[in-house]
Amino acid sequence: MSVIILVHEEFRLPELESLAKIEDVKLTYNKEEYKKNCPFLVVNIETEEEATRLVKRAILIKNIYELWGMGETYDEVHAQVKACPERWSSYIHKSFKFMVSGFGSTCSSDYQVRIINSFSYLGFKGDIDLKNPQVQFGVLEDYGLDPYAALPPPNPYTIYFGRLIASGNRDLVQKYNLKKRNYIGNTSMDAELSLIMANQALASPGKLIYDPFVGTGSFLLTCAHFGAFTLGSDIDGRQIRGQVDRSVKSNIDQYNLGDKVLDTLVFDICYHPWRENLWFDAIVTDPPYGVRAGAKKLGRKDPTKRSRVIDGVPAHKRENYYPPTKPYEMSEVLIDLLEFAARFLVVGGRLVYWLPTIVDEYSSEDIPEHPCMILISNSEQNFGQWSRRLVTMEKFKENVEGEHASVNNAKSLDNMSLLFQKKKEGKSDGDGKDFEKTNDNDANKKPGHYLFREKYFSFKSEEKTKREQTWIRFKNKDNANDSVDNVQSSSTIPPTENILSEKPSDYNTKKPEQ
Amino acid sequence: MRLIVHNMLQCHVKGCDSNNFPLQLSDVELEIHEIEYNHEFLQSLLTKLDWKAFVATAEQIGITSLPQTFPEEIDEDFLKKLHRILFETHIVEGKMICSNCSHEYPIRDGIPNMLLNEEELE
Repeated sequence: MSVIILVHEEFRLPELESLAKIEDVKLTYNKEEYKKNCPFLVVNIETEEEATRLVKRAILIKNIYELWGMGETYDEVHAQVKACPERWSSYIHKSFKFMVSGFGSTCSSDYQVRIINSFSYLGFKGDIDLKNPQVQFGVLEDYGLDPYAALPPPNPYTIYFGRLIASGNRDLVQKYNLKKRNYIGNTSMDAELSLIMANQALASPGKLIYDPFVGTGSFLLTCAHFGAFTLGSDIDGRQIRGQVDRSVKSNIDQYNLGDKVLDTLVFDICYHPWRENLWFDAIVTDPPYGVRAGAKKLGRKDPTKRSRVIDGVPAHKRENYYPPTKPYEMSEVLIDLLEFAARFLVVGGRLVYWLPTIVDEYSSEDIPEHPCMILISNSEQNFGQWSRRLVTMEKFKENVEGEHASVNNAKSLDNMSLLFQKKKEGKSDGDGKDFEKTNDNDANKKPGHYLFREKYFSFKSEEKTKREQTWIRFKNKDNANDSVDNVQSSSTIPPTENILSEKPSDYNTKKPEQ
Repeated sequence: MRLIVHNMLQCHVKGCDSNNFPLQLSDVELEIHEIEYNHEFLQSLLTKLDWKAFVATAEQIGITSLPQTFPEEIDEDFLKKLHRILFETHIVEGKMICSNCSHEYPIRDGIPNMLLNEEELE
């Protein structure tokens, strides 16, 4: 049987594995055969019923076929098909449809007809029905995807022929499309990735899934769609409440998920009220990494300041009180998240989250670790100089007291963070001694998410400078519009088209010297 | 906020670590929103429920007919009743008060505010 998958190359295999686990389908395939630039994969599954179940909630799998023949030439394919005539007999009198599609090339209709006719020996006597056929056959040609080739090769590298068993559930991407959603914020996760995350979390009926940085609640919806009960919390209640008719609640109503999305609460995950002996089946979240919504936790930037009393009422007792917060460094967020997951997940439960990272500085060791969590998958979505990685971890044993999460080289990371903070607040020794000292101790590479926010904004300002220069150069040639388009298309584009709400000037964007 | 979720929360003020669960309900305004009853889903969440705390909380809103220990044999009627109390009953306004330290957590528009003020942080 073969599977076709279309987009997000890095996410396909993890999703396939997750689906097999959710549906308890025994699945084997040759991992070495899988190529990122090829959308076809041959897998072995025992029954047709299992194959149907496997793909029914798939976002990245388009179709699954019973493989009748494959080869480098049509002669090979036909020979295999002819070797098993007992397969054809059940379909002799069924209405049917044939489809020919090429990956990495286009097939003319003449060519398609010629190919279809070459299968005439099957001798199907049923009607051809293009709309509602009882059975569908697919000829899939793979011409490869060579980005440097001017033209596709004249002949496909591989040809597959098979009977369509079932299709995936890509329609869901439209259903949860952000453009159609009642309430979104500038960090709302797009529908496709939110759905993939629900699959990675093994969301299914009866499970309890929690998002500790819930924002506008995308994951509450997609996990609930697959039947899980969901809960969310956020330090910022204003995001949850939204406006009168646009809020997390209005989204729950829009998708009719009021029986699955249990509640959203306001608190800081660093100081959470979940009781002892409570267990979540999965934690699915997009931690704030401070690009568009600066990460915050409770506390004050300036610890000498205290709570105020307004009109005789302590500020924190007033309605709509928003407590003082301080910046929350990325590696600190991750450690807290992992510690929380290790404590509050059931054994076998999953943590699914996004890790932003600087592409040139990333190494696989950057992924934070915990002694009772195992890495399941790590898939990159690239935006040029930076990327984000969807990390899936599974708790495989009980959490023992004294075991803690760690980020590669975390110690020097903490030092650097502190120094960076000091420098920012103008409390550095002034001669940069501190920085030099740390650099001496720190010959190791730092994680690719280290000081992510600061680096992200330095890219943005580099780009801005570049854009301005290009603009001026082209303006002289009266060709300004083109130039802007050109530059933008090669720039680092954030995950949604929204405009950055914060200015880089709020922070010191200077990078510490390596 | 549903009662099933109330059952998952404890007071988390710094140093408040005994008699801090369940939180007492006070001045609550309730609403019932009917949803489809599903036997399996309910069963799966019951495993996460702290029964003793749930019974005590139900009493505070005037439901006194629940047994002190979870019955060994349960019928559909009993489960439907639990469905009503746990899933369909929402606390829309009011507050939750810690029996130990008296901290008040307000609930407004059905959303509980569990934020602490700075003196109460760890």
